[in-house]
Amino acid sequence: MSADTGPGGSGDATVPAPPPYTPGSTQPRLNRPVRDRYPQIRATSGYGDPRIRRTGPGPGAGTEQEPERSSKLTARLALAITVVVGQLWGLTVIVNEWMKGNTGTAWWGTGFLGLSFLVVLGLWLLDPKDR
Amino acid sequence: MNPTEQPPTAGGPGENGPGQAAPAPWPDPAQEALRDRVASDSLTTRRDYLRIVTTVSGGLAVGAVAVAGGVLHRHGDSEDAPKPKRVADRLRPGESIAFRFPGEDDRAVGVRLKDGTLVGYSAICTHLACAVLWREDRGNDGELYCPCHEGVFDARTGEVTAGPPPRPLPKVLLVEEIDGSVWAVATTRSGESVKAAMCRQFGEQRPDMAARIGCPGMRTRTERSERT
Repeated sequence: MSADTGPGGSGDATVPAPPPYTPGSTQPRLNRPVRDRYPQIRATSGYGDPRIRRTGPGPGAGTEQEPERSSKLTARLALAITVVVGQLWGLTVIVNEWMKGNTGTAWWGTGFLGLSFLVVLGLWLLDPKDR
Repeated sequence: MNPTEQPPTAGGPGENGPGQAAPAPWPDPAQEALRDRVASDSLTTRRDYLRIVTTVSGGLAVGAVAVAGGVLHRHGDSEDAPKPKRVADRLRPGESIAFRFPGEDDRAVGVRLKDGTLVGYSAICTHLACAVLWREDRGNDGELYCPCHEGVFDARTGEVTAGPPPRPLPKVLLVEEIDGSVWAVATTRSGESVKAAMCRQFGEQRPDMAARIGCPGMRTRTERSERT
């Protein structure tokens, strides 16, 4: 076997030599990073996610290790929206009391709105590591 | 073309001249449209909504502080007691007069009802601050009517009788002199009694009058001076 024949060549000079190997594709768009090729896939998905402990079906597989996490986030959001609706009502009461001259009542209502804001702030900061 | 196959002219040094631009990475318009659609998708999560709700909550709390601190204008609010203002030489039954009292921003309306009663109110609707109009043809005694959202106020008391206004109209106290002229002398806030309004506005500058009408603080002060 001569040195100038290809890897699978049998010495036939009519077979062209294969191109030199380069990793990846010849189409530049296929060589882009995965997050550019598939922007729908979020960065936390996939096996780089530390929450995945097992492969395949069963406990520890997939991206959701804490099924209550999503419902807790929904509950926090629902509670926060409820509190804000109450704040909107409270603000109308404050305006009415102020216009009637009941300044003390207006300040009490302001305290209520301030405490409500602290509640919402607490709901927001309850789980800062939640994704 | 097979993805592993080398393009026959890829990267050829002589293909693109120095002044020619490189070919677009995605020549397929469908792929460009897909990329645009994906890029324009809203990726707002529930945590983002929670952050937005928290921001709104803080804004409402700040707004409440501003309201309680006095950012809104109340009819008749001023540092000192209002000075009487002549608003009309004569007001006949069924007639109304628009004027401003006590400040230039305090629009008011005075009405002589059919039975001769003289009433005056703020002409700014307590709902969304539209102008309140006197409508003699509505109701038994006529009505104060806000055309913006169909708010209706009672002509004798200023109370809300229909529509969305949340508070009664502030009153403007009118008096009639012997010569028939009509004067505006004081204002009340929404739902405030005339006595409380008089005590609030004239208690400091007219203690004699305040004691005469029976203002609580003035009575105590008078009694205290009598004891001493």
